[in-house]
Parts: sequence; structure tokens; C-alpha cells
Amino acid sequence: MTNHPSETGEILRVEDLVVEFPTEDGLVQAVRGVSYSLHEREVLGIVGESGSGKSVSSLAVMGLLPRGARVRGRILYRGDDVLKLPARRRRGLRGRKIAMIFQDPMTALNPVHTVGDQLAEAVLAHDLVPRKQALARAREMLDLVGIPQAEQRLRSYPHEFSGGMRQRAMIAMAVINNPDVIIADEPTTALDVTVQAQILEKLLEVKDAVNAAIVLITHDLGVVAGIAHRVLVMYAGKPVEIGVTDTIFYRPRMPYTAGLLGSMPSLETSGGRLRPISGAPPSLINLPSGCPFSPRCPLAEDRCRAEEPALGEVDEGGHYAACHHWDQLAAVADPTALFRTESEPVT
Amino acid sequence: MAISAQAAGAAQGMTVVARTQTQLVRRRFFRHRAALIGMLVFGGIVVLAFSSIGFGPLPGWWDKSYLATGAVVDQGRPTLSLVPQFLGGEGLRWGEHPFGQDNIGIDYFALTMRGTQQSIIVAFIVGFVATTVGTLAGAFAGYFRKKVEAILMRLTDVMITIPVLIIAAIVGRSFGDSGIVVLAICIGLVTWPTLGRLIRGEFLSLREKEFVEAARALGTSSSRIIFRHILPNTVGVIIVSATLAIANAVLLESALSFLGVGVQPPDVSLGQLIDTYRSAMTTRPWLFWWPGVFIIAIALSINFIGDGLRDAFDPRQTRVRA
Amino acid sequence: MIAFIARRLIVSFFVLLAATMVIYALTALAGDPLEDLRELPGPDRDRKIADRIERMNLDVPLPLRYLSWLGNLFRGDLGVNRDGQDVSVLLGNALSATLQLVVAATVLAVVIGVIVGIVSALRQYSTFDYSVTFTAFVCFSLPLFWVAVMLKQYIAIEFNDWLRDPVIPPTVIAVASLVGGLIWAAVLVGGRRARLAAFALGAAATAVTLTLLSATRWFADPGIGVVGLAVLAGGTAVGVTALISGLRHRDPLYAALSAAGIGVILSQVLDPVLADPSWLEIFGLALLTVAVCAGLGYALGGLLRRQAILAAVLTGLVTAGLTFLDRMLRGFADYSDYVRGRPIATIGSSTPNFKGDFWQTNLDVAGHLLLPTMALILISLATYTRYSRSSMLEVMNLDYVRTARAKGLPERTVVTKHAFRNGMIPITTLMAFDFAGVIGGAIVTENVFGWQGMGSLFLRGLQQVDPAPVMAFFIVSGSAIVLFNMLADIIYAYLDPRIRLS
Ligand SMILES: Nc1ncnc2c1ncn2[C@@H]1O[C@H](COP(=O)(O)OP(=O)(O)OP(=O)(O)O)[C@@H](O)[C@H]1O
Ligand code: SF4
Ligand SMILES: [Mg+2]
Repeated sequence: MTNHPSETGEILRVEDLVVEFPTEDGLVQAVRGVSYSLHEREVLGIVGESGSGKSVSSLAVMGLLPRGARVRGRILYRGDDVLKLPARRRRGLRGRKIAMIFQDPMTALNPVHTVGDQLAEAVLAHDLVPRKQALARAREMLDLVGIPQAEQRLRSYPHEFSGGMRQRAMIAMAVINNPDVIIADEPTTALDVTVQAQILEKLLEVKDAVNAAIVLITHDLGVVAGIAHRVLVMYAGKPVEIGVTDTIFYRPRMPYTAGLLGSMPSLETSGGRLRPISGAPPSLINLPSGCPFSPRCPLAEDRCRAEEPALGEVDEGGHYAACHHWDQLAAVADPTALFRTESEPVT
Repeated sequence: MAISAQAAGAAQGMTVVARTQTQLVRRRFFRHRAALIGMLVFGGIVVLAFSSIGFGPLPGWWDKSYLATGAVVDQGRPTLSLVPQFLGGEGLRWGEHPFGQDNIGIDYFALTMRGTQQSIIVAFIVGFVATTVGTLAGAFAGYFRKKVEAILMRLTDVMITIPVLIIAAIVGRSFGDSGIVVLAICIGLVTWPTLGRLIRGEFLSLREKEFVEAARALGTSSSRIIFRHILPNTVGVIIVSATLAIANAVLLESALSFLGVGVQPPDVSLGQLIDTYRSAMTTRPWLFWWPGVFIIAIALSINFIGDGLRDAFDPRQTRVRA
Repeated sequence: MIAFIARRLIVSFFVLLAATMVIYALTALAGDPLEDLRELPGPDRDRKIADRIERMNLDVPLPLRYLSWLGNLFRGDLGVNRDGQDVSVLLGNALSATLQLVVAATVLAVVIGVIVGIVSALRQYSTFDYSVTFTAFVCFSLPLFWVAVMLKQYIAIEFNDWLRDPVIPPTVIAVASLVGGLIWAAVLVGGRRARLAAFALGAAATAVTLTLLSATRWFADPGIGVVGLAVLAGGTAVGVTALISGLRHRDPLYAALSAAGIGVILSQVLDPVLADPSWLEIFGLALLTVAVCAGLGYALGGLLRRQAILAAVLTGLVTAGLTFLDRMLRGFADYSDYVRGRPIATIGSSTPNFKGDFWQTNLDVAGHLLLPTMALILISLATYTRYSRSSMLEVMNLDYVRTARAKGLPERTVVTKHAFRNGMIPITTLMAFDFAGVIGGAIVTENVFGWQGMGSLFLRGLQQVDPAPVMAFFIVSGSAIVLFNMLADIIYAYLDPRIRLS
């Protein structure tokens, strides 16, 4: 792991981001107050179950939410609130300063245009340069992400690429304008297990080549383990714990994080058996009062069901958690043991 | 490494969805205002047509017959008035011959009602026959692939080079005078291929789904898989296309009758009325107006019902995705 | 690609063959071909029946009759109808009128329908969108023959009457301006202020235009004129460029504007050439236009060369089209006199014995095509609108469109380059289906407007249980449908590389 870059400048800051979707069935509160900051060259992991609002919050940063979505809060890119920027300047940031890689490379590329064209287009969207020059840049990027015979590959259509190659092409597209921030939304989830590691590695390599910071979204703590400097855990549209990666892994102060850790195979915990958190996340339409995790939390009691805990500092070094009973987790040696059923042997 | 609670949650979600599917569909349908109005209008027309002049042995409340000629009053002008007196009209009045009379004094309201009955019956039979045949053919082709599919596809290829109106006109010429039921069945028998293709497409995508694989792995027979497992999942598509097929059949029948190759006298239908009286357009325009208005009202209301059903069964189009 | 087309042709041939079998059999069995003769009184009866049996080969069993018809067909002989007239001759007269009708209706329906559908999709949930959806439903539910009769009765006759003194009453201007304003306000999205502004501008523009047209009695002798041509061509240049490359970079705009300028100048310079041209000359001029404009785009386009060429060519073609229209309208007054002030025809496909120059003949044809096309187009228009709307909506929600936005492309490029092309793929499949529907509709339309076209050939043949004319109709319409299908397939393959390469 590289040195923690928190001393360097802050490029992205999200404050109290709220995203809601009015739907026929009611207001979906997809994101309910997310705040984080991202420093130059930093890797921030955002982890949470499906539906916890990871994608929605990053689409909000990109300004790519579907029409009808309501966004509140502040999103500061180098001090400018992008939500207040005029549309044209906002578009100027997109793809040039902040780029995004999507989850499913099979559908993220337009099937009717060549890969080269789609890459060159990303350059031409921001700089009026000759097409040849844009294509040359595209070729360079394909080389960088490790696609062999880049020259010919420029003329291929996406359907002639494998999933891994398409995701490489997406990475190339993201970094083609030397962005400051890359938001990678589960970049490996849709891929074969065998290529997942390669793609992650490539992503980090490319990030270093262009000196970008990364927001790495995943529902898999294992992915962020060796990579992220800091981790933000989300549950039901809210951040429930944030801190330096090691702290999150070894001293989780929120039962949900502990549960996630417990459901990972073979981290130095015992047992080796998956211990999933039972139950399902709450509906985002009619959120019950109190802690949204309380129906699934082994520590839950009356206060949890009545009062939603706020994110509070639990440790120095920027470790925050949203739990009334974080101190109970601090008291046990292995917090993941909380999720073990009684019949199982406790080590 | 994925959180497997997710799967459990999804599975729970599935059962919940399955249980309330019908209610959901019903709720979405009743939220579709145009479809509701369509239901009301269409229901109103059916009740009006069948209760007014009666049907078969059943007597109706309207005192004139669509067969009886009589003295032509006031050149056969309609006596219906809908403009109230305080707006300068003649008040709300039904009158002796609300829709007027034709040139030999037949009450045009009774005649239009008779035409409406016949057109609705024809449309429903056509829709029913085409949907049944189309569904069966599409289902077998989509499930068995290979031979059956090849035959069906070639057959639909052939049918697609023949415009529907052409083949229906030829069939209509043959069976127009065998009564409306025979005519309608025959038209249904030549208009199913489009529907068949649609259902086949649906079957093709469903037969790849896991639950079908599972059923096949358990050794379930093909017919059981088709009728128990796949067909119920295509109900939405089938109901929607059946509705639209009926709306199209209303228009097709009226066009055929207008061209003289559909319903033949002494039977009447809305299109045939327009054909009979088209030369009276300049002197007695109402003979032309009323059947036209009824055709449009029927087709439009059924189309709206179909749209409501489509939204209800497949709300994808109305929802926004991230 | 050639192999693909060849394979399609062979398959289509057999499909058509099978279809002829079906139709021949059904037609021959549709009734009694001797029905009218059987009721004849007098001594001729038996001789006439024998004659007809002889002519129609009725003494031969049906399968053999079909085969002999087929054999003749391959020798290029369409046979005779029951009265002994040569079907090829009958067909020849009927063919061009019907083809014009069908092609005009299809092209207009596709172009207008797709545009309206896309705008409607881009403005989902706007007033415009709701109105379009509702109108489409109404069009779906209109019986074609009824609409045709209505158009004939009310539009044509009233419009011709009005042309005698073409003054637009103030009330009509007021209502039209209101509607015009509403349409503009509905198409635009934005705040209340923007909508109000759009409404006011749209209404004012409509009112001014109509008042001007009325005051100058434009409809009595319509035309565009040099000034009109220049304004319209310039407007087209700006509009087309805005759509293709945006107006921020000037090069494509200059290319398009010069294309418009040269077009306007040439339309005046070429006056003698255009006095009484032939279609071949017109076609040549069109090719020339494309070449010149492409050159302009190439020379002036700078870094946006591709876009500039496209913008210039489109502008040039529109300008040329406007010139054509202007030329045609110049002959309007004379033509109108010739047809005694009733230029919108309600019967037939051309004025009998009319002799005029190139422009007047075209005007005559256009006058006859206008109403049938309007009637025929409605259903297809509704279909294309609905389908392109839902196709666009679906595509706009796809991942790759989001990727395109994530790159920072302007919304214009996202729509025209990424969404449009993909959204049109399902439309090509629809085209093939719809074309068959239009041919069916043409039969009804011709019937109402009294055209001696293919529709009447078919209907009369069918009524008389006379397969030869019916088959002639089908050979033509079936081949047209097959060709059209193939055209749709080729467009499909062009649009979607996944098909092209496999
Ligand atoms: N356009 C929308 N309309 C209504 N609800 C939406 C919309 N987009 C997202 N949501 C809801 O917002 C919530 C958060 O979704 P999001 O896609 O951010 O989840 P996620 O954390 O990225 O999950 P995953 O791991 O599955 O990608 C989900 O419950 C989803 O149903
Ligand atoms: S607040 Fe209560 S319910 Fe929520 S995580 Fe903490 S202990 Fe569990
Ligand atoms: Mg996501």
C-alpha cells in the first residue's frame, strides 16, 4: 500500500448528498446524506450491499442521474459546487476531470460504433484536435491498458471484444483525458473471476500513470482490502462507517461492517465458513424509524429502534461510525463473532 | 464473496412479487385513466347496442326494428339533439328517430345498433381465433425450435408478403355470404401469423430461463412445460395482443365490408352501412356519420384498454432506470 | 453483403412462389366465375358461358390451371382477364399511379413519424408527448375509408371553394396562432418563463405569416420567390448545422451557409435549364448538388470536416428541393385556371387529357396525390411515431448512452450519434411490415378516390372470381414488399455491425 495521501490536496468533497426518486409507489430515498472527501491520488473504497445507494451517489457526482431524480447537498470539485455550475461547464468536467467506469462492460459500449471511434470521441468532446490525433491518443491508451495490436483493435466493434477487453477499453476511455478522479462502479463484478484481478491491477497501474484519484465502488470488502486507503461503508443510503482501511478491517465499530467482514472467507478470522448476515435491507420507500440496520442487528435494542444513530467519531485518525453501541464492539476481541449462531463454536 | 443474504432477500422478494402479481396488474390498470374511460365507453356501447334492439330472442327497449321501413319524416333528419336550450340549441332530446332515417324510412338508430352488434361480434371472433391459433403456433415453434419453427417461420414469411387486407378480402369474398360467424372465423384463420411471431419471440426468451431448465432437468414433459410453466408467463403479452387484435379486427371488418367483400346484405355491419350509403354523403350525411362515429369509438376505446393492459403487465416503459 | 442479398433474393423467390399458390387457389375458389352469365336470358347464354370457360381454362382442374398460369408468367405473359383484355396492358396503366401513392405515403410516414416520435421521446411526459400519444391512438382507430371520404368531402371541396377568394378570416388566424404557440410551448422544456416566451413567439410568428399570406393573396398564386428561398435556405443551413455539430464551432456553419448561398444563386442562374427539364436532368442536378456541397464541406470544414460535409450536403439538397417546389408552384395559376379553379382533385390519379410542361404535369400529379396520401399516411404515421418513440425511450435508458454522457459529450451528440442509430434498428423491421399495410390501404384509398389503379384491378378481379388480374396485382405488390423487405434488411445491416459481420 502506498503512503496515505491525505496530506495532499483535496479534489472532491461531497457534503450531505441526498438523492430521491419520486415514483408511482412513493418517494425512494436512495441516498440519505452521504459525505466524504477525496484527496489527490487517493483510493477511496465505497462498500455496501446491493441497493445501498453506491451507484446512485456516484451518478449524482457525475451528473448522470435520470431525469426526475432530486438531488440536494453539495458536491465540490476543487472548491466549486458542481451542482451550481451551468450545464456546459458541468459537461466540461465530465469525462475530462471526473471520469467513470461502469459495472457491465458488455453493455457500456455502443455496439454500432468502433472502439476507436468511441475512444477518440472522448477526446474530441473536450478538445478540438484533428481526428487523427485523437485516434493516435486512443491507440496509446489501448496500449496502456494492455490491449495487444492496438492499431487494428481501434477498428473493431465492441462485440468483437471479450468482456475483459471491453472493460480495459472502458478504462482506456476513462483515462484518455488525464482525469483527476476516476469513479469505478464495481468494475470487476460482471467479469470472470480469472480476469478480475488483472483488471483491478491494470486500473491501479493506469491510475498511477495519470495521477488520478479513484473512488472504487464494490460490495466486496475483499476487493478494497489491498487497494483502498480509506473505506466508506454504506447501508440503506447512508454512510455507516468510514475510516482508514486497516482500522475498518481490524477495528470495525459498526455491527454491519463487522457482519460484512464475517461474511468474507479467509481473512485472518477463524472458521472459514461464510456467515452471511441474515435478513434483507429495508425498503427505501418507507424507512422504519430508528437504525435501519436494527432488524438484522444482534445488538439491537429499544433505543436502536427508536432513534437513528448519527455518524460520530469513534477513534482518532478520522474513524467515524453510526452506531449507538459502537463501544460494545470495541469491547470484544473479534466483532465478527457477533453474527455467529449459538450452535456454532466460538473461537 | 458476495453477500449471500442478498440472494435470500431476492428470493423472498420473488415470492412476495408472485403473490401480488395479479393485484399489482389490477392496480396499475386502474390507475391508467385513458384505459378506464375506454372500458366505460366500450361497456356503454355494448350495453346500448345489445339492450336497445335486443339480440336474438331477447327483446330490447327500442320500439323500432332495423328491418321495418316506414314513412320518411323530415327527409330523414336525425331528431337527436344534445345542445341545451339555454345555449341556443333545441334542448336535450331523443326524439322519434334519433339518428334519422334512411331513404326507405328505416330507423337509422336501430340499424346502427344492429351494425354495432355485428361488428363487435365479428371483431371478437376474429380476435379470439387469431389469438388462439397464433398462441398455439408461436408456443410450439418457440419451444420446439427446429422443424416446427422452420415451418412456422416460412409460413409467416409467406403470409407477410401478402397484405392482410388482400388475404382477408379474398377470404371475405368466399365466405361473406355464409354468415358473419363463418366469415369471422375465416378472417381469424388468416390473420394470426403476426401474433404467432410475437408469441414465438416471447417463448424463445422464456425457454432459456432457469425455471424451464429446472423443469426439463426434472424430466417434465414438453407439453407440461409449455402449458404449465411458460404459457402462464406470457399471459400478459397474449392478453395485450389479443386486445389490439380485436381493435384491428373492428377496422378490418369495416374496411372489407366497405369494399363489398365483407359482411353481405341482409346482414348489416358498420362498414357495410357506410358502403351502402356512401352515395348519400352529400344529401344525408348522417347516414355516413353515425356508423363512422361508432367504429371510431369502439376501436379507440379498445386500443386504450389495450394500452392500459400493456402498462399494467409491463410497466418497464413507464419507470425510470438509473 | 452481396452473398447476403443473393441468399435473401432466393429465399424471397420461393416465398413469393408459395404465396402465389395460396392466392391463386383462394381466388379461384372464392365464388362462381360464371355467376353473372348464368342469369342471362336469351340464346347467347350458352355460347358466352362456353367462351368464358375457354378463356379462363375453367375446364382444366385448378392445379393445372395454376401451373399454366405460372408457365405463362415465366414467359412474361400475365394472361387475359375474363373479358379477354390483356392483363399486362391493364396493369401498365394502373401501376405508376399506385406506386406513386404507396411510395409517397411510405416515405412521408417514415420521415415525419420518426421525427415526431423522437421529439416526443426526448420530451417524455411533456404536453407535446401526451398530445402526440393521444393523436397516435386516434389515428390507429380511424377507419381509413371513412377518413378518405371525409377528406374528399370537407377538405378538398371546401378548400377549392375557398381558393377562389383566398383570404384567411381573422378568427382562423387567431385560432391557428394559438395552436402554433401551444405547439412551440409544448415542444420546449424549461421553466414557465421559457414556455411563455416560446408560446408568444410561436403565436406571433404564426399570426404574422398567416396575415401576410392572406393579405398578399398568396394562395391564389403561391410561390416562394428568391427572397423566400434565400431565407428558407439560410434557416435550413443554421438548423441543420445546429443539429449536426452545434453552432459553437463556426466551420461547419460556414460550409452549410455557402451551400445555401450557392444553391440560391444557381437556382436563378440555371433558369433556362429548368424551363422544361426531364427527370433525368433533375436527377443529374441533384447529383451535382451533392458533389458541390461535399466539396464545400471538405474545403471549409477544418477540423470538423465530416460534420461540415454532412451539413453542407443536407442544406444543398433542401435548397434544391425548395427550388423544385418553387418552380412547380410558378405554374399554379395557369394550372388552376385549366382545372377551373379546383386544383385539389378528388377523383382519379391525374386530369384526363391534361398536357402541360414538366412542372405542370407534376403539379397535376401532386394535386391528385395530396388527399389520398393524407388519408393513407395516417395509420403508418401513427405506427412510426409510436414505435420510434418507444424505441428511443428504451435506447436512451441504455448503459452505452450513459457512457456517452459520461464522456462529456453534448446532449445533441448523445442523441444523434448514439441513441438515434440504435433506436432506428427496430424501425427497419417495422418498415417491412408496415409497407404491406400501406399496400392494403392503397386499395381502400383508390376505391374512395375513384382511381383506376391496381386496387381497382384487384377488387374487380376478385369480385368476378377472375384470378389473372388478382395475380397480376399480387405479383407486383408481393415483389414490391419483398424488395422493400430487402431494403429494410440492408439498412438494418448497415445500422448494426453485429449483423453485417456475421
Ligand atoms: N431511477 C430510479 N428510480 C427509483 N429508484 C431508483 C432509481 N435508481 C435507483 N433507485 C433505487 O435506489 C437504490 C440505490 O440504488 P443503487 O443503484 O445506488 O444501489 P447500489 O448500491 O449501486 O447497488 P448494486 O450493488 O446493486 O449496484 C436502490 O434501491 C434502487 O432501487
Ligand atoms: S444502532 Fe443499534 S441496531 Fe443500529 S447498528 Fe448499532 S447496535 Fe445495531
Ligand atoms: Mg450499483
